Amino acid sequence: MQFKIPSFPGRLAALLLALLPVATRGAGELNLFGWSEYVPQPVLEGFTRETGIKVNFETYSSNEEMLAKLVAGGGRYDLVQPSDYTAEAMIRRKLLQPLDRARLTGLGNLAPEFTGRAHDPEGRYTVPYMSGSVGIVVNTEKVKTPVRGYRDVFQAAHRNRIVVVNDSRELVSWALYALGQPINTIDAASLARVRPLLAEWIKLVKVFDSDSPKTALLNGDVDLGVVWSGEAALLWREHRKFQYILPAEGAHQFVDVLAIPTGARNVTEAHRFIDYILRPEVSRQISAAFPYTNPNLAARRLLTPDELANPASYPQGGKLESFRDIGRAAADIDRLVTDLKSAK
Amino acid sequence: MTPFPVAREPGARPGAFAWLLLAPLLVWLALFVVVPALLLLGCSFGERDEFGQVLWGFSLENYARLLDPVYLRIFLRSLGFAALTTVLCLLIGYPVAYHLARAAPRVRELLLLLVLVPFWTSFLVRTYAWMAILREEGLLNALVAWLQPAWAPLGLLYTPAAVVTGLVYSYLPFLILPVYASVEKLDGALIEAAHDLGAGPWRVFPAVILPLTLPGIAAGVTLVFVPAVAMFAVTDLLGGARVPLIGNVIQNQFLQARDWPFGAALGVALLGLFLVSQMLLRALRPRGALRG
Repeated sequence: MQFKIPSFPGRLAALLLALLPVATRGAGELNLFGWSEYVPQPVLEGFTRETGIKVNFETYSSNEEMLAKLVAGGGRYDLVQPSDYTAEAMIRRKLLQPLDRARLTGLGNLAPEFTGRAHDPEGRYTVPYMSGSVGIVVNTEKVKTPVRGYRDVFQAAHRNRIVVVNDSRELVSWALYALGQPINTIDAASLARVRPLLAEWIKLVKVFDSDSPKTALLNGDVDLGVVWSGEAALLWREHRKFQYILPAEGAHQFVDVLAIPTGARNVTEAHRFIDYILRPEVSRQISAAFPYTNPNLAARRLLTPDELANPASYPQGGKLESFRDIGRAAADIDRLVTDLKSAK
Repeated sequence: MTPFPVAREPGARPGAFAWLLLAPLLVWLALFVVVPALLLLGCSFGERDEFGQVLWGFSLENYARLLDPVYLRIFLRSLGFAALTTVLCLLIGYPVAYHLARAAPRVRELLLLLVLVPFWTSFLVRTYAWMAILREEGLLNALVAWLQPAWAPLGLLYTPAAVVTGLVYSYLPFLILPVYASVEKLDGALIEAAHDLGAGPWRVFPAVILPLTLPGIAAGVTLVFVPAVAMFAVTDLLGGARVPLIGNVIQNQFLQARDWPFGAALGVALLGLFLVSQMLLRALRPRGALRG
């Protein structure tokens, strides 16, 4: 038996056929770029099961890292998860595209206080994902003195027993709060004012960790700290001795949002994912895994009384404030904190 | 009498065939070492715009910032940490490598395998294991509490000592292997000859063994010192990110402060430092002393 060698057009067709799966791989896919420890795996699997859309999930651990990669590798991501102040800068820089709100049927589930905020007043570009605060967590079995604000944490008595998030802007904002200064006005003068206080504070800290500050507390290496509320909520769930306190001087509240970058290839899939997240039963799953403050009211109704009673997830009172974009000052903050850390 | 010419004369120019065999390596080096290094160099003359994007241009401002005492101090501290790591690796690794190379072949294979086994797990997993050992309620403190309760708990984790421990642990095999290779090549007859001429062990080591294994030591020291200067993961995890080293500062410029041009200038400075130190090392190394 003899094989017939196909003609040139036949060979070309065969070649194109072989390449077809490669060329069409873009359809039915979603490139999600989100925070580490923030999107539960079952949520991603549930979305793929229902829609057939494959999710490529990549993570980052700071807004700045996300921006660096987004700007460097433009067009690779279909959906990002910036914090409010970063979203504000991205909108200004035209790095985000307007959403088609008609395709987002679950928008009505959101609590009004989480929509129309300063970063995106008309809600054209962003949909809130989760919210939280940065506050004090205390192991009440080890620390017996009352702790109400930043100045109570950074005491000589707690030297080497403190963990804080490794985030220079957070550190500077706590010192600004303690001095009664506005946290969103950062210039040479305000940095000079916080410098002496921050220098004292940094000497007292044992661990700087943004990824998992709860670990040092759980392991007993430190007794108190200033951490993300979600971390504190997980600690409280582990043991009631870990109490969360919103600092009396004021605290940073963040709203992390979902947004579609300009130049995203899978815009339809991105909208479907946002709408999936807005469903109460899906959003409820996120709260169970990462107990931050859920902006989805319909999802909150599905939470257990225990979840709702978690003081770190749903803190009472407190003076909460958002970060705003500070532009170039980020580099000055980094230099100040690097200087103070290496001075000890 | 000349031996059978199995190899080309050292220093001879490679022929066309040799270049062909070298081609994959040269392409790899060009794509992943030379081009990125040039990009880094180009970027280091740029500027950061308000949003953190690179504005290409020609400014020496980033290099002027390197002279800021804040960063100079960190540079010096990083060199100090790396030097201490290298010395400790040498003190621990040299005897290990020596006995490894002189052990009976079957034992040697097993021991060599033990040196390599840690590489089968991820570097981060191994670093987390050190956290479990060093933490306040960890394995080491449990042992201390059992032996001498009055001493416990020792605050070991999140200290500079923990950082150096992690660095020595990570880089020890990089010293052992090259030293092992040069001890293995050591001609036993030379040592015997030294003994026959009346030299005791204290004389043989500095006069014969050490000079003959110097190439292995030089390679090992380079392999430990260079990466140890720029390491950042160990300082974050075991040091609690309290004391920044130059690796952390560079990482911060790229991911936190988003000041790529300054990060690039720091990187170029580090690269320049290594180039100069390598050239010094080459200049100091005696050439052809053992030949003829």
